[in-house]
Amino acid sequence: MIVGAEWYMTVAAALFLIGAFGLLLRRNALIMFMCIELMLNAVNLTLIAAGRALNDLGGQVAVFFILVVAAAEVVVGLAIIVAIFRRRTTASVDELSELRG
Amino acid sequence: MITPEISWLAILPELGLALGAAAVLLVEVQWKPRAQVLGMVVAGALTIALAFTVVQWIRAQDAVAGAGQLGDLVAFSRMILMDGFAVFGRFALLVTTAIGITAGWRLIEGLGRRRAEALALILLASAGFSIMVSANNLVMVFLGLEVGSIALYVLAGMTRSSSTSDEAALKYFLLGSFASAIFIYGVALIYAGTGQFEILAIRSFFSAFIVTSPGVILIGIALMIVGLGFKVSAAPFHAWAPDVYQGAPAGFVGYMAAVAKIAGFAAIARILITGLGDLEVNWLPVVAGISALSMVGGSLLALVQADIRRMLAYSSVATAGFVMTGVVGGATSGVLFYVAVYALQLVGSFAVVAAVSGPANSASSMDEYQGLATRSPGLAAGFTILLLGMAGLPLTSGFVAKFGVFSDAWSAGYQWLVIVAVLASVLAFAVYLRVVVNMYMSDAEGPTLEVPDTARWVLMIAAAATIIWGILPGSLLDLASSAFPL
Repeated sequence: MIVGAEWYMTVAAALFLIGAFGLLLRRNALIMFMCIELMLNAVNLTLIAAGRALNDLGGQVAVFFILVVAAAEVVVGLAIIVAIFRRRTTASVDELSELRG
Repeated sequence: MITPEISWLAILPELGLALGAAAVLLVEVQWKPRAQVLGMVVAGALTIALAFTVVQWIRAQDAVAGAGQLGDLVAFSRMILMDGFAVFGRFALLVTTAIGITAGWRLIEGLGRRRAEALALILLASAGFSIMVSANNLVMVFLGLEVGSIALYVLAGMTRSSSTSDEAALKYFLLGSFASAIFIYGVALIYAGTGQFEILAIRSFFSAFIVTSPGVILIGIALMIVGLGFKVSAAPFHAWAPDVYQGAPAGFVGYMAAVAKIAGFAAIARILITGLGDLEVNWLPVVAGISALSMVGGSLLALVQADIRRMLAYSSVATAGFVMTGVVGGATSGVLFYVAVYALQLVGSFAVVAAVSGPANSASSMDEYQGLATRSPGLAAGFTILLLGMAGLPLTSGFVAKFGVFSDAWSAGYQWLVIVAVLASVLAFAVYLRVVVNMYMSDAEGPTLEVPDTARWVLMIAAAATIIWGILPGSLLDLASSAFPL
């Protein structure tokens, strides 16, 4: 059996959906954040598989850019979560309900 | 080995902004100067960026007129474009940044030693969004979007003394990153389907080939629309907007919302109209649906808000819908004109909110505006002009903008959308009128307001622009309609 690019892209789509539903269903800010990382990595897998199938380096180069963006997001995201945790000693987004109307 | 040809002019505005951000931080570390000195550094960076933008504009117009070559407008191995569309969007961004910083100046001064961070973040956000409007490569669009958005997440949480600020920052961060991930997955699927990241190459791909099984590509387009729809707070992806507008420091919200809207709509217009124009039968109904939902939903929800910032947030959802009718109409000039005009009104309105309820506060109940006309007549008059401009009353720039996008959509065959849009405009008018009535028809209570000079200037500029471009829209309309995308 030949494992072609479609297989990788199917796995990536599954990962992306797991991430997306995790973000919508989980209530802990850290877990939600991990779900976003999972989604970005699903994108990376898609790009690598597609680049390999198309015999084009562009897709694989794009992965580096996305990795860097993900790292920058980690820096800011963890800082915000830590700031919230210091004030309220919880990372559950359900507790964050001062803003509503 | 081939040396890549580098046309520095294409990124000089962004370089100016980024170096300006670095300079602000260094000056702060080295000399710990007064706030005015930092303001002058920022003003210098913005002036340099604006000057280069004007040079780019002249070059783009020459190229279109045939004096130069269209190829000159493509730079950095086709990553960045200098066409009229990009330059107009960049110009709007820079002007909005300058006015936004002025509007938030009292807040920035009050941040103490962290004021340099805030200024640097604002400049970096503008540099990112500026890349976003001028990018030809979808990965560049994503990079610009993220550079801008990440800076905005931090700005939303800038006032750490207020507990709503970090809540707004977290909500903005989680939903914004979610939207970015959705957008880049759409880009990846488009790449998988076409083998291209470049918007212009995607256009030639679709005009050269008829795609027989476009499943992956259609999913990719849908995901990109969802991702960018989040960024411009179009319904049903608007859930973050009211919370962020309410919780983030008032001095920054106008800027944050305005630049995100300009860059988001420039990207939507370029990707959909320029890049995917040949597939428009597939995406037009979706965009029209989002547009109708945003207009009606945004206006209805704005009607019932008790907090002026949430009201402005929902009205910006409605405005996103109105601008989308221009995307459905397929004419980029109407979209550009609308976002440019609306950005000024938004920044001006939030300058009023910051003056009335304090630049760092988060509560800004509608009641605080009761009798504002007697407590601070100038503020009330300026705010009224801006609100009527957003509502699209004739003789304001909002009317010209709405008329432009509605007539584009009408001639594109979306008559039902225009009818919905006109009905939603009536609803939106009631929203804005409610605030005006509140300011003029109720008794004054509370002390006279002390309005900072910076807010006064911003309000004067925004109100003057709203009226001047309402009566004589020609100057800006000509610019917008000669701002062709390649």
